[in-house]
Amino acid sequence: MTAPTSAVPAAAAAVARAGAGRPAPRPTRRLVRKGTLYAALVAGGVAMMIPFIWMATTSLKTRAEVFTSPPFSFPTGLHWENYANMWFALPGVTFGTFFQNSIVIASLATIGQVITCAMAAYAFAVIEFRGKRVLFALILATLIIPFQIVLVPNFILYRYLPWPLSDSGNWIGTILPLWVWAFFGGAFGTFLLRQFFLTIPRELADAARVDGANPWQIFLRVYVPLARPALATLAIFQFMWSWNDLLDPLIYLRDLPTYTTTVGLAFFQGQFVGKWPEMMAGALVSLLPMIILFLVAQKYFVRGIALSGIKG
Amino acid sequence: MTSTARLGDLAGGVEPMPDRAGVPSGRGPRAREARWALLFLGPTLVGLAVLSAGPILATFGISLTKWDMLTAPQFVGLENYGKLLGDDRFLKALRNTVFYTVVSVPVGLVLALGLAAALNQQIRGIAWIRTAYFLPLVTSATAVALVWLWIYSPTGLLNDFLALFGIPPQRWVSDPTLAMPSIIAMSIWQGLPANVIIFLAGLQAIPVEYYDAASVDGAGRWSRFRDVTLPLLTPSIFFVGVLALIGAFQVFDQVYVMANPGKPSEATITLVYFIYENGFRNFKMGYAGAASWIMFLIVAVFTILYFRTQNRWVHYQ
Repeated sequence: MTAPTSAVPAAAAAVARAGAGRPAPRPTRRLVRKGTLYAALVAGGVAMMIPFIWMATTSLKTRAEVFTSPPFSFPTGLHWENYANMWFALPGVTFGTFFQNSIVIASLATIGQVITCAMAAYAFAVIEFRGKRVLFALILATLIIPFQIVLVPNFILYRYLPWPLSDSGNWIGTILPLWVWAFFGGAFGTFLLRQFFLTIPRELADAARVDGANPWQIFLRVYVPLARPALATLAIFQFMWSWNDLLDPLIYLRDLPTYTTTVGLAFFQGQFVGKWPEMMAGALVSLLPMIILFLVAQKYFVRGIALSGIKG
Repeated sequence: MTSTARLGDLAGGVEPMPDRAGVPSGRGPRAREARWALLFLGPTLVGLAVLSAGPILATFGISLTKWDMLTAPQFVGLENYGKLLGDDRFLKALRNTVFYTVVSVPVGLVLALGLAAALNQQIRGIAWIRTAYFLPLVTSATAVALVWLWIYSPTGLLNDFLALFGIPPQRWVSDPTLAMPSIIAMSIWQGLPANVIIFLAGLQAIPVEYYDAASVDGAGRWSRFRDVTLPLLTPSIFFVGVLALIGAFQVFDQVYVMANPGKPSEATITLVYFIYENGFRNFKMGYAGAASWIMFLIVAVFTILYFRTQNRWVHYQ
């Protein structure tokens, strides 16, 4: 694992470590300062967590309790039935269906992005060809253009792409528009992986070439294995973006059984105004996979953002 | 748009005759290299032509038509643009979006900067503390907006809290003057972690020797921050600013969820919501396309103006 870690710029790697060296003040003053700092940081952290705490406590209260009890009281009993009510609230589908759809879409989009962005990044980092700079600049430009500008033509494209299995006969109403695009490259992933590939010593590729490997073999056997941390970063971000996306699923999905968790939640809200415990249960359940992923892979999230500056 | 114009040449040369693209000098190792490049870039080039750069131009073409997707498109010239400028709902969307941007970006930046400085400490348990601050990073705006809707509700947490100080309950989401600020506060909370992480990386890249030198010169805590940290951090601040600016113009999810049930009043409608509403609810493709182009131009103007200020305050080492 030496090559991958050394490939991360010092600035990003440093996030994992802590602190800038400072000259030490006198001991007592330092203790007081440290204590205040702790208190302030912990208080701020709790403040940041209030929406999550509020979500969790509400989800376990009864509906009557929600309106009568003081705000930060704990629930009188643990009303887990709110979760069951939420799960089975909609006719014909369960929340599990939404979960399944989100997992399928996010997984396919992630696979597509990792493969095609890695390929493009390899071309930009390793291969010499005419027009490379212009093409790379063009891809970077699409990174800072608000993607909503392509919503209308993309919708029209999918409207005319045939799909015999759907009611409409085209891609509208299917989950296809939500993941197929991912198999055609992407600016963020290409940029992120190119930066990483550039840090891999060219001698490794040269040595493989001398041994008779072609560029595809060099890509698969030298670059991909060394770039595993960067590939993981891209995979995690793409999974999260697909999981959290609302606008595209809203535009393309038509029937409840195809909904993702985000559209399902938004629909749920329109149907069940005022049922706060059930709604908070739904919100919490929909967030859970991402929260777990974050706790497990925080390092990759932090590194990805510090490296590329792209937001969650 | 010179760069997009070149895309046509590239993509055109790519698809029918893969062997010829970008290879002027016949055979040899360079030609073989270029063919490999084409293989690796194939999916990306198709995506660029069909899904991103190509459609940017297509949107402009569509914006010159009247098209409901049931009957054939009808060329109407710039009529859609003229209509938009007289459409009260569009002008409100524009005003709300600009308001959202000019408030949420600077406030979010300053808060993130302060928080990053506070979190840049070498103390035990800092990893856990940071996790608490970073958590909103991974949450969907949809779920977050639901929770905040409940926090903001007439019987919600915020009113309960304010009651402790004798402040009467407010209608945070349905009162037209409070609705947008409420959405902004929520978005700042959710956007903080990403900005803090970038600032933390920037802070930790500052060489310790600079602080030592400043201390030798007798600089206090505040002056070290003002005279060493801040100038050295300006590239990070500039960078976060660009991203925040472009991101802010795209605000949609929060508005969709908070404006129950998915039909915002004129107090909170945003540009992206306007595009969504006209294009994909009412199927006015030309009208939505024109709105997209206006949004694109406004973002471009804001971004260029922002880049122009760079010389005045950003210090590159």
